[in-house]
Amino acid sequence: MDQLIDVSLFAAALRMITPILLAALGGAICARVGLFNVGLEGLILVGAFSAILGNYLTGSITMAILFAIGCSLLFSLLFAYMSINLQANVIVVGIAINFLAAGLTTFALRAIFNVKGAYYDKDMKGLPKIDIPLIKDIPWIGDIISGQSILVYVSIIIVILLQIYLYKTVSGFRLLAAGENPTAARSIGLPVRKIQYFAVLLSGALCGLAGAQLSLGNVTMFTEGMTSGRGFIALVATMLGQSNPIGVAGASILFGFMEALSYRLQTFSIPSNLSAMLPFVVTIIAMIFFKNNGYKDEAKKSNGSSR
Amino acid sequence: MLLEMDSITKSYGSVTANHSVNFNLRKGEVHALIGENGAGKTTLMRILYGMERPTSGEIRINGKVVAFHDPTDAIGQNIGMVHQHFMLFPAFTIAENIVIGREPSKGLKFDRKTAIEGTLQLSQQYGMPVNPKQKVADCSLGMQQRVEILKVLYQGAEIIILDEPTGVLTPLEVKEFLISIKKLAETGKSFIIISHKLGEIMEVADRITVLRDGHITGTVNAADTNEEELSKMMVGRELVKLERRKVEYGEPVINVQSLSIKGAKAKPLLDDINFNVREGEIVGIAGISGNGQSELLQAISGLMPYDEGTITIQDVNVTGASVKQIRESGLAHIPEDRYLWGVSKDATVSDNGIMGHLESTSKYGILQGNSIKKLVSEWVQRYGIKTGSLSTKAQYLSGGNLQKLIVAREIAQQTPFLIAAEPTRGVDVGAMEIIHGELLKRRDEKAGILLVSSELTEIMKLSDRILVMYEGKIAGELDAAIATEEQISLLMAGGKAVG
Amino acid sequence: MDKMKSTLQSLLQPLIAIVAGLVIGAIAILVVDGNIIETYREMWNGAFGNMYFFTSTLARATPIILVGLGASLAFKAGFFNMGSEGQMVLGALTAAITALYVPGPAWFKAIAAIMAAMVVAGLWSALAGWLDSRFGMNLLITTLLLNYIASLFAGYMVAYPFKDSTTNSALSQTQMIDKTLWFPKLFSGMTLHIGFIIAIVSTIGLYLFIKYTKKGYQIRMLGGNPLFASYGGVNRGRLMVVSMLISGAFAGLAGASDVLGTSYRFLDGSLVSANYAWTGIMATLLASSNPIGTAIAAIFLAALQTGGMGMERNTDVPLEVSSIIQAVLILFITAKFTISFIKRKKAGAKDGSTN
Repeated sequence: MDQLIDVSLFAAALRMITPILLAALGGAICARVGLFNVGLEGLILVGAFSAILGNYLTGSITMAILFAIGCSLLFSLLFAYMSINLQANVIVVGIAINFLAAGLTTFALRAIFNVKGAYYDKDMKGLPKIDIPLIKDIPWIGDIISGQSILVYVSIIIVILLQIYLYKTVSGFRLLAAGENPTAARSIGLPVRKIQYFAVLLSGALCGLAGAQLSLGNVTMFTEGMTSGRGFIALVATMLGQSNPIGVAGASILFGFMEALSYRLQTFSIPSNLSAMLPFVVTIIAMIFFKNNGYKDEAKKSNGSSR
Repeated sequence: MLLEMDSITKSYGSVTANHSVNFNLRKGEVHALIGENGAGKTTLMRILYGMERPTSGEIRINGKVVAFHDPTDAIGQNIGMVHQHFMLFPAFTIAENIVIGREPSKGLKFDRKTAIEGTLQLSQQYGMPVNPKQKVADCSLGMQQRVEILKVLYQGAEIIILDEPTGVLTPLEVKEFLISIKKLAETGKSFIIISHKLGEIMEVADRITVLRDGHITGTVNAADTNEEELSKMMVGRELVKLERRKVEYGEPVINVQSLSIKGAKAKPLLDDINFNVREGEIVGIAGISGNGQSELLQAISGLMPYDEGTITIQDVNVTGASVKQIRESGLAHIPEDRYLWGVSKDATVSDNGIMGHLESTSKYGILQGNSIKKLVSEWVQRYGIKTGSLSTKAQYLSGGNLQKLIVAREIAQQTPFLIAAEPTRGVDVGAMEIIHGELLKRRDEKAGILLVSSELTEIMKLSDRILVMYEGKIAGELDAAIATEEQISLLMAGGKAVG
Repeated sequence: MDKMKSTLQSLLQPLIAIVAGLVIGAIAILVVDGNIIETYREMWNGAFGNMYFFTSTLARATPIILVGLGASLAFKAGFFNMGSEGQMVLGALTAAITALYVPGPAWFKAIAAIMAAMVVAGLWSALAGWLDSRFGMNLLITTLLLNYIASLFAGYMVAYPFKDSTTNSALSQTQMIDKTLWFPKLFSGMTLHIGFIIAIVSTIGLYLFIKYTKKGYQIRMLGGNPLFASYGGVNRGRLMVVSMLISGAFAGLAGASDVLGTSYRFLDGSLVSANYAWTGIMATLLASSNPIGTAIAAIFLAALQTGGMGMERNTDVPLEVSSIIQAVLILFITAKFTISFIKRKKAGAKDGSTN
């Protein structure tokens, strides 16, 4: 490979974008109901592991994806219970979820597959690549867009569906209301807790898909801690996209592209240690353009008088 | 009888907010529920609206016993409530705020067009004009109040609870508001109004029920009573009048010149503020809350940057200085919201007490336990602060005791200039007397005090000079000795049409 | 009365958490067909069974305590410093390079290595504090991201410019530092080194600092209610940078102590895979940011890990059971935050709802 930018770079970018995008959408929907989900990283990790496990147990890709969704859902349920019912500090809960996910996947890797570090089976099938008729014949575009895993296309559809859901439906309107002013929402009888549960569970399902794309789409294996910060990058994408599905998609495209570029740079005899920094550096730089709520607003929320 | 609340009792642990309270409401009636802060009015109404469950007692509507588990149940029985702090969604439009919870829909789709039409129709029907497409964040408080009432009407409420509905309105908006309430009552809607403003109550109510310490002290017809009788029923005793003593004013301790803050919106938050406070003088700032008082105080004390202006304290130019520098130049500050600015709830009484006193309570950067103990326990004694010990966490102190701690801390700074913002908000009468007494004593010791309060009576009682703030400007300056409540009210309303 | 109750409760909660951890751990042991009693006995022996194992546990706890102290300081000030790992890695790298390349007598080299490690790690950490106070960039996220950059950078340094070329090893690592610089052992034949004493002294020092100094007071108030602190004249931006600096310096000290006391070189990935930094953060969370509690929790978590190794040596149960127990502990800690929160809410409601 002698070109820095070519068709396969964009095709790779599309693959890299998908897990970040799916998780970031999950983060966005949580942010919309007022929960800052630091546990995305852990939820994706669980999804990635259980996708491999589901595939191993059933041999069916569909079942593997469903299994990944199911396991991440279970984890997000824990997040929801802790942060909504017990009203624990969401950040601490998120960190705990990350610890728990790392611990459980490491243990399960050992207990189920009896391996340390990584599980790989050359006979295991990954997500099938789908050729889209007509589009695949368009030069350039066809090579980029066609022939991706199903989850790549699913993620694009989810962006559109979420956008419509939030801004056009009654249920989405209520979800926004519950996040905008929970006290007011409760006062008119909106089931704020149920709405928050729904949002957290949805983010769990999305992270399950993100994990499946990671372990069955981009590669076909599971490595300990294979999310390597993608959950946190997704969190930044959530913030940068102002928790708006289309905006989140834009930010995810940037970060996913940087990831693909960092792999590409390795082929240009740039040490992998340095090129791998690229997505993180770009993410931090991007944060300059996102204004934090400011500690004063945060403090006002948590210290305000009860009056 | 439309509504009967029969021997309602509500206890939180050892605290009883309502003792066997009886309350009823006729159709088409405006029934006021009055009492001091903490008398149990809001608790009673939260029970009626399903936000709290009574410990004992029952509620009947049209003679039928009902039980509410949450507001939805109450709304289902055509009860609506407008809360003291508006329950609106600032980012949504007026129409969205009105229909929320009962949105018109086509399948899953939120039919915003119908919502707008419905809002217009409703606003015409009840003669309360609104622009359905306007964002609530851009509305005046009077308009927001209107949206709240339309929302309740949209939900089909027959019984409407209004909790301190006029607290944030200008006198003009209050007038308009009272008229629309009367009109609505004539159409058959029934109102319960919680308030402690007797003038307004006398104007609008048919019957008045007075609560004191969770007990009913009586229910009277408005026509058969007067304000004096009501205030006796509310307070239960005569208040000691403070004697005003003539003092000579000295040099200015603070001088504020052309202070302006632009802010994010079209209107500036502060617009060319000029004033001073002299030694031995209390300058009161009156105004409806939200007219720039908070910003002014934060700008003076260094907590908020400002675009223009010069501030000098004791001839030291402190323009743009840090909080620490400003405090060292001679400012102490009783903040307007004690939980937000005044304390750290998880910290102990003595930790909360030494903020700003670190110089005198530490040596070589080490805190001196003994001098801290001496300092804080002296305040506890002098102000009668009820606390388990000095290592009790601040959150376990009652509002009044916490406020006394803050006042003690700031007065003990012995600074030439003191800001006292809402020094007695939400505290009981006893604490209020102590705090007022200490402020006057400090004034007699030649300190200059800037008093900011939304309680006109407090301003009238303590100030030597009164400034009225309206929309970020000083709308007028009055000599307290000759100022009348009417004059101030007029200035507070800005003198021009509001809406 | 209140005091006794709260002391009892603060003792009860970790106890319940530990019991729950052991119960879930037992289930995990059953899942892999282990014998619960035997497994836990081996775990205990692996951690405390004899002087050697006991001192190994303390040796392992040393960097965990130091990282935990750093995190606890930042948490006390209200900043979620999640960047301990990167800070520790940079500290370790700096210590190794300084020890190898700075001229001078051994004692000077050792002290220079420790100092340099603390300064570099502290500055790296303070960078995140500065970015937050200056640009409003969420510190929690930046510190998380900076971890990856720090580890990758350290990996690059030992893979290229400072790679050990004296052996043919393919490992990315520095040369071994001179024996004269090594931390003295506390007992001959044991792994425990003087770093542990440093950690204990630091623990007591930090405890006293937080509780009895002016700066410590300001840090506590800033963490409790930042608005109150700034109202009282505390400069939040500066204190943020300072507390992040100190917090990072502790992580750097942890890295230096590992290099000078245990590894004697910097090996890419060794600190990350040992999970010192995250265990330190866990210890802080377990102890609600109390320095002494953090040290105790760190020793406990280290015991879980060394015990886990002993268990793996002598039974068929994998080491990873320890990570399950740790995860359960953490979950219970979140629940602990909760119980106190609910109590606070109820207390608030008493005077709040009668207005």
